Amino acid sequence: MTGLLAVKLRRDLRAAWSRLVLMAIAIAVSLMVLGGVLCAWAVVGRETGRAYVGTEPASATILLDRAIDGERMAAIAAEARTRPGVLAATGRTQFIGDIEVNGHPREIPLQVFVAAPDDPMRMAKLDVQHGRWPPSPREIFIGRDSLDLLDVAVGDAVTVKIPSGEPARLRVAGVVYDPSLAPAPQHQMGHAYLSTAPLTASGSRAVLDQLKIQVAEPGRATPSRDRRAVVAVAADVGTWLQREHGLAIREIQVPEPYAHPHQGQADALLLALLAGGAAALLLSAILVANMLHGLFTQQIPQIGIMKAIGARSGHIARLYLAMTLLVAAAATLVALPPALLIGRGLADMVFGFLGIEPASLAVPWWTYGTILAAGLVLPVSMALAPLVKASRTTVRAAIDHHGVGSNPSAATGVLARLGRIRGLDRGLVMALRNTVRRPTRFMLSVGLLASAGTVFVAGMSLGAGVKAVAEDAKARRNWDVDVQLAGPASVEEIATLVARVPHVRLVEGWTIAKVGVAGPGRIPLTRTYPDQGHGGVSLTAVPAATTTFAPPKLLQGRWLHAGETGAVVLNQITRDKTVPDVQAGDTVQLFVAGKPTTWLVVGIVEERQGGGGGAYATAEGFADALGQPRRANQLRIATEGHDEQTRKGVADAVAAILTGAGIAVQSAASVSRNESIAEGHLGPIIVVVLAIALAMGAIGSIGLASTMGANILERTREIGVMHAIGALPRTVRRIVVAEGVFLALASCVAAIIPALALTAVMGAGLGNLFMSAPLPFRVSLPAVGIWIALAVVGGALATEAAATRASRLTVREALAYL
Amino acid sequence: MTVAPAIQIRDVVKAYPSSAGAFVAVDRLSLDIADGELVAIVGRSGSGKTTLLNLLAGIDRPTSGTVRAAGADLGSLSESGLAAWRGRNVGLVFQFFQLLPTLTILENAMLPMDFAGKIPAGKRRDRAQRLLERVGIGDQADKLPAMLSGGQQQRAAIARALANDPPLVLADEPTGNLDSATAADVLALFAELNAEGRTIVVVTHEAEVRSVADRQVTLQDGRIIANARTRVPA
Repeated sequence: MTGLLAVKLRRDLRAAWSRLVLMAIAIAVSLMVLGGVLCAWAVVGRETGRAYVGTEPASATILLDRAIDGERMAAIAAEARTRPGVLAATGRTQFIGDIEVNGHPREIPLQVFVAAPDDPMRMAKLDVQHGRWPPSPREIFIGRDSLDLLDVAVGDAVTVKIPSGEPARLRVAGVVYDPSLAPAPQHQMGHAYLSTAPLTASGSRAVLDQLKIQVAEPGRATPSRDRRAVVAVAADVGTWLQREHGLAIREIQVPEPYAHPHQGQADALLLALLAGGAAALLLSAILVANMLHGLFTQQIPQIGIMKAIGARSGHIARLYLAMTLLVAAAATLVALPPALLIGRGLADMVFGFLGIEPASLAVPWWTYGTILAAGLVLPVSMALAPLVKASRTTVRAAIDHHGVGSNPSAATGVLARLGRIRGLDRGLVMALRNTVRRPTRFMLSVGLLASAGTVFVAGMSLGAGVKAVAEDAKARRNWDVDVQLAGPASVEEIATLVARVPHVRLVEGWTIAKVGVAGPGRIPLTRTYPDQGHGGVSLTAVPAATTTFAPPKLLQGRWLHAGETGAVVLNQITRDKTVPDVQAGDTVQLFVAGKPTTWLVVGIVEERQGGGGGAYATAEGFADALGQPRRANQLRIATEGHDEQTRKGVADAVAAILTGAGIAVQSAASVSRNESIAEGHLGPIIVVVLAIALAMGAIGSIGLASTMGANILERTREIGVMHAIGALPRTVRRIVVAEGVFLALASCVAAIIPALALTAVMGAGLGNLFMSAPLPFRVSLPAVGIWIALAVVGGALATEAAATRASRLTVREALAYL
Repeated sequence: MTVAPAIQIRDVVKAYPSSAGAFVAVDRLSLDIADGELVAIVGRSGSGKTTLLNLLAGIDRPTSGTVRAAGADLGSLSESGLAAWRGRNVGLVFQFFQLLPTLTILENAMLPMDFAGKIPAGKRRDRAQRLLERVGIGDQADKLPAMLSGGQQQRAAIARALANDPPLVLADEPTGNLDSATAADVLALFAELNAEGRTIVVVTHEAEVRSVADRQVTLQDGRIIANARTRVPA
């Protein structure tokens, strides 16, 4: 580019600064979103991998039907390490119980992970941040994210109910950071860590029921990342334990190797956000291309002059390429620091979601490179077509160029008929015609705003869908207090005892048992994570004549008949994760308390993650399978009042009366705890979707402002004529503002079908991802109302500058404009 | 020895498609203009004067026939080739001056030198300044076009046309937008340039141009109806 063209460039930039600033803002806003998500993605991926791998997670956990003593487990683990493919092995156990802190019971249950004091902690390691492993026999360590949840601190005295039902009085002596677990607040369950010493204090030696193994990569001394290889080795070890040591295997748990329990969700969330950011950037790039096209079109006479005095296409192309690059570079530089901040904030949010403490939030160099490339290359590549077209303008084309076309578009012609309607405001009719005068520009502006509206309404509707799930679950949960017993007890005995508690209206005894599901002749294999929650399967024994349960939606077969034995209904999550080939009419093995039982699958139902147990049988069928009388390990109690005070009072009284009668109670709490768990997962996603919608809305407003600016510029002469024939400034202003409002309203209409489609797609995608079933389709009407209001107000505001300019144009200025 | 004419037009037709059929702006026109001649092309509106000038400048391409100007067969040049040819050989002057609004008068005059690269970079500013002084607006060099009168802008446009010292100057209604006194000054300037040996073609309505032109070519409906010498070339 010649020196004078550089001078011209500088002055053209100055002359068109307001439009160029709008372009830069449009790119910067979308680049902030994209860059922020990219930074978060890079940091989260790196740190999650580092943290999770740092715990040296077990490849598989082989769950024994009965616990064995520490010495025997140590011997078996040593022998297991010599098995083919086994890299490491160790014995562990875990249990869930109630906790009291300084004598005050907590409603949140405690999940306790137990290892032998001499466990070398080379696998499924803990990061003890305060204290030193192992804790003494009178000490317990608490998970860092459980401290606030349980309102407990180092030094506090706690009482934990151990599996034998006895209370163990312990002192909180340490804090553990365990990145292999989902965060405690999300699952409303505290985490704690014990050595086996407190469990054996009462004389019971058989306390370890898990053999954790790490499977080697073939021919290497590193853990395998191939789940199929892990399953094969774990099955071999399981068979060996059965055959050589006479141990019954309840289940083999093989989660996805090296994947955090929430890794899939986090990846999907970030990918979805990345896609949203990329879409926003693409939209802004299209907008910029359109704005540049307008700018180049305005410059056509000057291009013609330059061509007439000897400029070649290359001279012109370099001039406008430099202009585009400057806008893109300015936007990229402006966007980079906020993108880094957004990235950190988003990464923090995801780390909270995953329960990860990052070692570093430093953004890798390649993300800077990618952001710079996206910010510079995309706008330039989108601007290439108008740029090349402008640079190839011939002198003849420049001479023939007369600005805005005097030929009306077809749509304007159609709208001309509106003029025949008597009493219709002429100004508004004119505004309506002007709106569609440039069809491409009209569609781009409407498209940009409609995209933002679509994402906004879909995001809010997603929230409505999640709320509907929670409300549905709440509506189904027509009881008030859940009581978890330490072991099964006679239903009649419990019912008699609980009926004595004041304010109890109804009590039902349920059995919910952890089970393994397998095809005939196989050891049950699950994807259960160490927290025993993610991927675990429970069998729910439904009592006859229950009033607290409605069968879920049937996908295949039928529901259970009253009193039916030998029949089971699986939900789709359990079926897909354990016996994916099984259909209604097939048989499966359920390992109940380690005992294999054969069941006919009579139906498959659809449930959401956390919404059901996984498998259902009648209470009679369950008792029959175990060869025992009907017993219950859970109680559902309906109270006379449904306030939290009544619920809590009844829960405490029931726990007291049962304990007094020698029935060990693991937990007794109001059902409201479960509501917190359901809301913990999707909330952050909806917030981020709405943030993307707002970013897109900002880009849409810029698009609208730019469209209106260009429209007014092109109609300068026309506006001058209007002034000349007596139009008042306020009349002109009203027409221009009305154009903006019409555009905004058109965008709302255009957004209807995409918003419905996106709501359905996102509801299905995110529902399947987080809850294993689509979210119910809900359209948030408040969101529709809010967006229409935002679009109309935004449209009017975005048009304000153009309207002011148009209303202030003098006849002389307007007629002198070329 | 026969000297090749500066401009040689042979059987040129220029037709524009229109809804009522092809509109013929220039119809089988042939014309030679000798080196150093100052020719006025006159005629009524729609007679084809501007089309003829555009054909000479390579702005339009003939529908048929050939145009040779300043040593080049314009039909054989690409758009880019035409731009380069114009930059080195042709000075164009328009009725509405067509100065770039964001460049000063001096910068406008320097711009063709940047494009053509014919004048060494270090000498361009001085040359542009001299050209502006020559056309009588040297003191306005650092002003933007909008700050000058019509006559001053046209003088600046003439200075710009002379930037690369072209052998051929083509002017389309150069006085059409000026008052009579200023128009006379501008025509005098053209005569002066012609006296230096430049070939000049001026398209005009004005009768006053006869006073400076060697020859007057009159067009009607795209054809030459008169081709008369008005004075003997110097």
